[in-house]
Amino acid sequence: MNASTDSRRRFLQATAGMLGAASCSWLPQLASAAGSDPNRKRSCILLWMAGGPTQTDTFDMKPGHANGGEFKETKTNVPGLRFSEHFAGLAKQADKLAILRGMSTREGDHLRGTYLMHTGQRPGGPLNYPSIGASLSKALEDNQSMLPNYVAVNPSGLLNGNALSPGFLGPRYAAATVGSRNTPPADDSEAMADLGVDFLSLPPGIDAQRHKARLALWNDQQNQFLARHPSGAAQAQATIFQSAVKMMHPDAASAFDLSQESSEVRESYGRGTFGQGCLIARRLVERDVPFVEVTLGGSGLGWDTHQGNFPAVERLSKELDQGWSTLLRELNERGLLESTTICWMGEFGRTPNINGTAGRDHFPDAWTCVLSGGGIAGGQAYGKTDEAGQEVTEGKTEVQDLLATLCQAVGVDPATEHYSPQARPIKISEGNAIDQVLT
Amino acid sequence: MLRITHVPASFVLFSLLAWSTAVLAQDVSADVPEEIGPMQAMAARIDALVQAKLDREKLSPAPLATDGEFIRRAYLDLVGNIPTVAQTRAYLDNDAPDKRQQLIAQLLKSPAHPTHLANTWRSLVLEPSDEPQRLQNERGLQVWLRGKFSQNVRYDRLVEEFLTATQGSDGPGYFYAVQDLKPEMLASETSRIFLGLQLECAQCHDHPFDRWKQHDFWALAAFFAQLERPDNVNNVGLGRFDIVDRNVGEVTIPETDEVVPPAFPGSDANYASFGGTRRQQLAIWMVSRDNPFMPRRAVNWAWAHMMGRGIVHPADDMSPQNLPSHPELLEELTDYFIQSGFDLRLLLQTIAITDTYARSSEAVSDSEAPPELFARMAVKSLTPEQLFDALIKVGLLKSDVAQMSMDVNRDQFVARLRTASKDRTFFDTGMPQALAVMNGPPVSTATSPETSGLLKALSAPFLSDQQRLNVLFLAAYSRPPHADELKRYKQFLQQAPPDQQSAALGDVLWVLANSAEFMLNH
Repeated sequence: MNASTDSRRRFLQATAGMLGAASCSWLPQLASAAGSDPNRKRSCILLWMAGGPTQTDTFDMKPGHANGGEFKETKTNVPGLRFSEHFAGLAKQADKLAILRGMSTREGDHLRGTYLMHTGQRPGGPLNYPSIGASLSKALEDNQSMLPNYVAVNPSGLLNGNALSPGFLGPRYAAATVGSRNTPPADDSEAMADLGVDFLSLPPGIDAQRHKARLALWNDQQNQFLARHPSGAAQAQATIFQSAVKMMHPDAASAFDLSQESSEVRESYGRGTFGQGCLIARRLVERDVPFVEVTLGGSGLGWDTHQGNFPAVERLSKELDQGWSTLLRELNERGLLESTTICWMGEFGRTPNINGTAGRDHFPDAWTCVLSGGGIAGGQAYGKTDEAGQEVTEGKTEVQDLLATLCQAVGVDPATEHYSPQARPIKISEGNAIDQVLT
Repeated sequence: MLRITHVPASFVLFSLLAWSTAVLAQDVSADVPEEIGPMQAMAARIDALVQAKLDREKLSPAPLATDGEFIRRAYLDLVGNIPTVAQTRAYLDNDAPDKRQQLIAQLLKSPAHPTHLANTWRSLVLEPSDEPQRLQNERGLQVWLRGKFSQNVRYDRLVEEFLTATQGSDGPGYFYAVQDLKPEMLASETSRIFLGLQLECAQCHDHPFDRWKQHDFWALAAFFAQLERPDNVNNVGLGRFDIVDRNVGEVTIPETDEVVPPAFPGSDANYASFGGTRRQQLAIWMVSRDNPFMPRRAVNWAWAHMMGRGIVHPADDMSPQNLPSHPELLEELTDYFIQSGFDLRLLLQTIAITDTYARSSEAVSDSEAPPELFARMAVKSLTPEQLFDALIKVGLLKSDVAQMSMDVNRDQFVARLRTASKDRTFFDTGMPQALAVMNGPPVSTATSPETSGLLKALSAPFLSDQQRLNVLFLAAYSRPPHADELKRYKQFLQQAPPDQQSAALGDVLWVLANSAEFMLNH
């Protein structure tokens, strides 16, 4: 449902006074086709695979080897590049994907691996590092935006640990969370996932007029206190509440309203939280949100397939394929793929050998991440593992290199420095970007 | 100056609001502690040492806080909630010259004090969790802590009991359960909590900047190497977790064959000369009078709890490289704490009656003293628990918040508002949290005329707008409105149609509840 013109107008009157004229520059942007703007900054979408997906059954298959498992390979639109048979949609767009088959990291625990892949740092040090989402959204932020710079869709409480944390960058760069408002639909459920931001609308009984009156008084009250208490905590409270008020504006809030999409479009992404999350990501990128993270496998054990690997991976792969391939297609159709980089990763890979319960265990030694979209030279595999998938034989890639490549793809210098509380300059990534996968 | 002169109105108001008064309104005059001399002397010494450092830096301290600022701060720090309107009124109307000290003594005797300390220590000891079963288990530990704090058990005794817990019914058993009985986790957590030493970096390598070596870390871990959890089916529920101390089990440095025997950090005392199990040996060393770390850490914790930051900051990282801002003060307070028989309550009381604690948080000049000089009170974020309870109180939504009961709404609110930072001088929350406060319960409930007890109480027709605004401000800020506020809000109320008066008061309450002044302890 579109917010009615009338309520929008009244809301505008309500907020215009307190926010001032400068803040209204977002208005024309929302209506315009963002992709046509040559000065548009890039956005990044992280497809987070909670639990650690198996490389051997997805993008680095070992057909003919005992480790290969049950799945067949399928050809893609790039000669010689093959994926799992369950990636029918992605196979048609393989020219947009760079497969990094030489990932090699050093954390095999879910929480530690999640932290490592999000920050580039191993956990436990004295410094609380920001997640790559926080770092990139700071580098790419739009101060005028009414939307948060970093949005996380359905993050997994179980596995994320501090991974979504803004760390030393502070709460201003924390992810705004979009959660599921109904029970996550089971695989065979007919129900559509209902994603949304809690408490984004006014409580019952409060109309825009009263909201306006409250905000006018609130503004005075805040200014009076801030003038006498110029402390960081008071400033932060005022800033964050102000931002939340902006986010309630119908034009901003509508970004999260999937009922504005046709049922055909919603179906095309898949009904689960991941597919609908990809659709929210598209809507946010259209509105210039710099960083969106969408989780697959957040509820339950996700990709943590210690037992019964194959049926679980088949189901997850199909859900992934539908959401991701529709996202690529739609961004491309809207002229947004050029400026949107998509990174597919989890906390580690899984053992190439199949264990006694038809499962695969944690394996950080040799695994796969995938970059796609803007800034990425698609249609290639970078790095190689041996026949058994046990070792990287070519193009060994560490987490810092992956993050550096991602930064470069979205147009941010990986050596960009942010400051720790001790005023120590810290680079987003110390790694080396892989030129071969960049355009 | 702000008393309500209209007698019936003030009488009715007082009766309406007094029912929410907690158990605090007791006679306190009879309770002058025998130790008052040394305590006041120590408080004066604290002020002198803080002042001396300010003098050296050629900076002045902020003036003392107003009564309203002070009572709100003291309530939040000592009992974890804001005062009621009646409690605030009684304090503002009190003319006794020592009313600040009276208030502190009264709060420390209140049953809400050990509850608040137990809350505080529970989050110091355990990583926060929102999982229902873990919350249930955490309550077991909290009950145990509250028992100790309400008896004001000697702090060294509390540490000893915590470290050597064996009984399934004991709260601290749950701490061991959370650490999976892993020696390395128990070593790093207990040294952080009770010694203020962060040794965990030495777990994997020699610390590059610190004196601790990998060997030191594993030698401490060795004290936890002989624990076992018996296979007991009754071992469930409310933090129950039996622990058996065996006499076998050692630690080895990972990826080596090196077995590390127990040793105390920074000490060459021979553990074997201490009796009992490994854990008892560690506990005996930790609480021994010449342990250099344990009482300093307790003092630094108490200071940080009251002042927003430690004399060593961060408060749980007292490594030799992390120097105290006031070394002399830390040493003298530590001596005082030891002399007092490790009396944690007396320590909090001593800090609370200083002028340093009573300073305003307002900025006095453009060139502010850095926070480590304690020239003015730090502005601290309320914990999510404090914020929820304050909102409940401000809307008079419950006459009595049960001390330990399960409250699903509170749990949900706390889970949503939970922050990553342990430093309360940060306001560490994001937009989704702000939205939940602005548009969700309990604010929506507290500010709606249909559900707000306070708004119902204020609907009495004989009350003037000024009286109503007075009550709202006392409820939210523990102070009456300033003249300009009174003018602004009176005008606002006058614009509302007669049938919307209560709703308009609800709007005022909404503004106050979402303001920085309400959401911060200042």
